[in-house]
Amino acid sequence: MGVCAELAGKTMRFESPGADRIASLVFFALGAAMTYGGYAMDRLEIRQIHPASIPGLVPIILGVALMVCAVLLALQAGNDAEQTDGPPDVSWTDLFCALAFCCVYAAAMVGQMPFGVATALFVTAFSGWFLWPEAGASASVRIRVAVGVILFGIAVSAAISVLFRYAFLVRLP
Amino acid sequence: MEGLQSFAIALAALLTPMAIFHVMWSTLLGIFVGSLPGLTATMGVALLTTLTYTLERDFAILVLICMYVGAIYGGSRSAILLNIPGTPASAATSLDGFPLAQRGEAGYAMALATAGSALGTVVGILLLVMLAPPLADIALEFGSFEFFWLAVFGIVISGQLTGGVSPLRGYIAGILGLMVAMIGSDGIHAHVRFNLGWSDLNGGIGLIPAMVGAFGFAEVLTVMWRRRAVMVDGETPKAAHNRTLPRFADLWRYKFTIGRSGVIGTFVGIIPGVGEDIGAWASYAAAKRISPERHQFGKGSKEGLTAAETGNSAVVPGALIPALTLAVPGSAPAAVLIAALFIHGIRPGPMIMIEQPDFIYSIAAMLLLATIMIAIYGLSLTRLFIQVLRIPRELLMPVVFVLCVIGPYALTQRLFDVWVMAFFGVVGFVLRQMNFPMAPLVLGIILGDLLDKSLRRGLTLSDGDLSPFFTRPISAAFVLIILVTILAGVAPVRRAVASVGMRNS
Repeated sequence: MGVCAELAGKTMRFESPGADRIASLVFFALGAAMTYGGYAMDRLEIRQIHPASIPGLVPIILGVALMVCAVLLALQAGNDAEQTDGPPDVSWTDLFCALAFCCVYAAAMVGQMPFGVATALFVTAFSGWFLWPEAGASASVRIRVAVGVILFGIAVSAAISVLFRYAFLVRLP
Repeated sequence: MEGLQSFAIALAALLTPMAIFHVMWSTLLGIFVGSLPGLTATMGVALLTTLTYTLERDFAILVLICMYVGAIYGGSRSAILLNIPGTPASAATSLDGFPLAQRGEAGYAMALATAGSALGTVVGILLLVMLAPPLADIALEFGSFEFFWLAVFGIVISGQLTGGVSPLRGYIAGILGLMVAMIGSDGIHAHVRFNLGWSDLNGGIGLIPAMVGAFGFAEVLTVMWRRRAVMVDGETPKAAHNRTLPRFADLWRYKFTIGRSGVIGTFVGIIPGVGEDIGAWASYAAAKRISPERHQFGKGSKEGLTAAETGNSAVVPGALIPALTLAVPGSAPAAVLIAALFIHGIRPGPMIMIEQPDFIYSIAAMLLLATIMIAIYGLSLTRLFIQVLRIPRELLMPVVFVLCVIGPYALTQRLFDVWVMAFFGVVGFVLRQMNFPMAPLVLGIILGDLLDKSLRRGLTLSDGDLSPFFTRPISAAFVLIILVTILAGVAPVRRAVASVGMRNS
């Protein structure tokens, strides 16, 4: 999996003509949707408002403006290629892992279980996942890293929970 | 004179033990936030806003200002020691700061950065005290027509100056921000727009969750995506321990550079949505053009370092000028500050000099206290800052993300805002990697309501007639500036102007 991701790192780029063309399609669709949404929006005739103050006016203008910009973006895609000098020194595996940890914590853990437990699990898992490969093969170092991240997770969770619960009087999720 | 007197009164009112205590911890925290790559000033101010809403009003604003000033200054630490700007504002600092560190002058480079930052902020504070009250007076002349163009001007100029190679990306980011502001109840008829069937969206998208996502979560992803920064040989703690106090002779030699960079930084700050990074680059470029030691720039020039640090720090007071008098943020952290001011019951805008005439001077006094504190910390705690840079990202980032989650939740007690934060984090990350600037997006979210209300109110007042938008003097001036700005961004026009200039010379 790591190898695939590293290979992907050499081919996947955010700033490329292809990415710009996809973005311009998305922006055009978004602009069209907003224009239609503004056009179809209730004009509040029943409240006898001034026709120039209909709620959909600005969304229509913004939608059209975004569509025009999307077309221009598609036309100039690749023109500013001087920024794409060589592959960036990045790790896609790390990115996707971090994204997965964060999304699971925010969407599936917070609110579903006590905040302190969710936070301790998240911080321990996040730190442990990224620090574990650095622990090497030595059993004693591994145990030290494992104990360290578990204690760190519990300490961070306790500190943040206490701070928000008792200092800021927030009812934690 | 009257302004200086008000400033002195505001400063005296702030000199209480409790206020000094808040200045001490928040400035130190700000310097830590700024010095750690991955934690930006905007993120720091946004997260701290969620932590200070239970504080007394003046203390809360004081803490946020100290965080802002400290973080912009703190970015110079990692720029000098790691060649990685702690915040984008310090990108220009690394050009000369890092070569100085490699020559074994890291300590002196940090001392110069400290002096430059402190003096830049002082120049900015003086201009804030002088410019903000008359600007607020002028703003009282603004009607719906002028406010509409002000909002358009903000998006256009911010898009133009932050879009990098292509202003188009800046414009798109600005329009996306304006679109986000269209979600929820409209400001005139309270008609709910684009709520997609979710009642949670009836009130619109909160600025704080969006900012925490776009600047906090997106930054966590960026830091984890990139390979880890490695401290190189030139910046060991030993190297940082040469001279840690700036020589007066150096500062005196660069007095014009400091003054010029302070003024440039402040005026860049006044331009809506154009932040500290542009202020630093503009000051650096101006110094390079004029300096007799310009060949040294980029190779460890002390003047270049001073210009960059003075320029970025002067943006802070500058950015607060339009934020306070027009409610139009001069930079991304200033946008969060506007939201924080509203949370604490202060209404920034043209009425501020009528409703709370002393408030601008209080802000200036707060900036001065923060500046004094960065000077004290900057010159005395060099070793501690180096230790902070050694905190592994693997431990820091999950803590930042937990704060990104609990911060927006604490403000509204809604899990929905956590999802908003996560959405803006992912979208913000992708947009940033595609070179779309975030400042116009943030400005769009802030200015969307003003633009929408002003256009429709203006059209109602003129009974659908568009001509007042173009014929009233201030409106006409705005239209002209906007047209020139857009045309200057069109490549063929730029080339034509350049060729005409060449022919004439």
